[in-house]
Amino acid sequence: MITLSRLKNQLLARAATRFPILARKFTDSYTPRASAGRVPWAPPAVPLAQATLALITTAGIHHRQQPPFDMSDSDGDPSYRELDSATLFDDFVITHDYYNHSSADKDPNIILPLDRLKELVDEQILGSSARTHYSFMGHIDGPHIDTLIHHTAVEVAHKLRAQNVDIALLTPG
Amino acid sequence: MGLIQRVIEQAGIATIGISIVREYSEQVKPPRTVFLRWPFGHPLGEPHHQAQQRQVMRDCLDKLYTIATPGTIVDLPYIWRRHDFRKET
Repeated sequence: MITLSRLKNQLLARAATRFPILARKFTDSYTPRASAGRVPWAPPAVPLAQATLALITTAGIHHRQQPPFDMSDSDGDPSYRELDSATLFDDFVITHDYYNHSSADKDPNIILPLDRLKELVDEQILGSSARTHYSFMGHIDGPHIDTLIHHTAVEVAHKLRAQNVDIALLTPG
Repeated sequence: MGLIQRVIEQAGIATIGISIVREYSEQVKPPRTVFLRWPFGHPLGEPHHQAQQRQVMRDCLDKLYTIATPGTIVDLPYIWRRHDFRKET
């Protein structure tokens, strides 16, 4: 059963999409963790036409049979889901109360452009697509930020390396 | 999202991210970012608008290979629901 606090978050998210001034208030009220020092940098190792690309989204999409992201914790859920590019769009759900995903429910390419990616590979503009892409739920705060940057995001980075991924595109919700 | 992007880049994979809140990206400092002043939930644009989605994707890949300064944010010129993407290739 949906809780009152989840319902409130979902209604606020819908309002923020419809009325940009509300979105502004929302973004002004949140301060992300600022980064200091050197910005990480890895130039693309191979030309685009030879590169393997993976998508990483924080829009909360996942396969229907996977456990949903935890929406009861106000600090969010720093876990991730593995997405099979061959089957995801056949049966997906989006678990994320902090943005209005009614458009993405109709066409998930606007948050995870799997079909556009396939076209670019077919046209030989891009080398290949990773078989597995990765999804997070991008409303993460408090102690979960450390879990994300020291554990779950590191795990995903290792899995990308193991798949011989050369380049990655990250998309928000 | 930018924090995850930084971790992946740190592991040796070149990354580009789409931002719809420029101020967040300025704080988090991902390696490469394209910014669109578009509504939440629409980083690649509108549902079933393939030309628009494709153009954003092409821009991302172009900037991934051409941005030379870490932390760069490129403002894409597309105004929400005002740009005619049929003119693009």
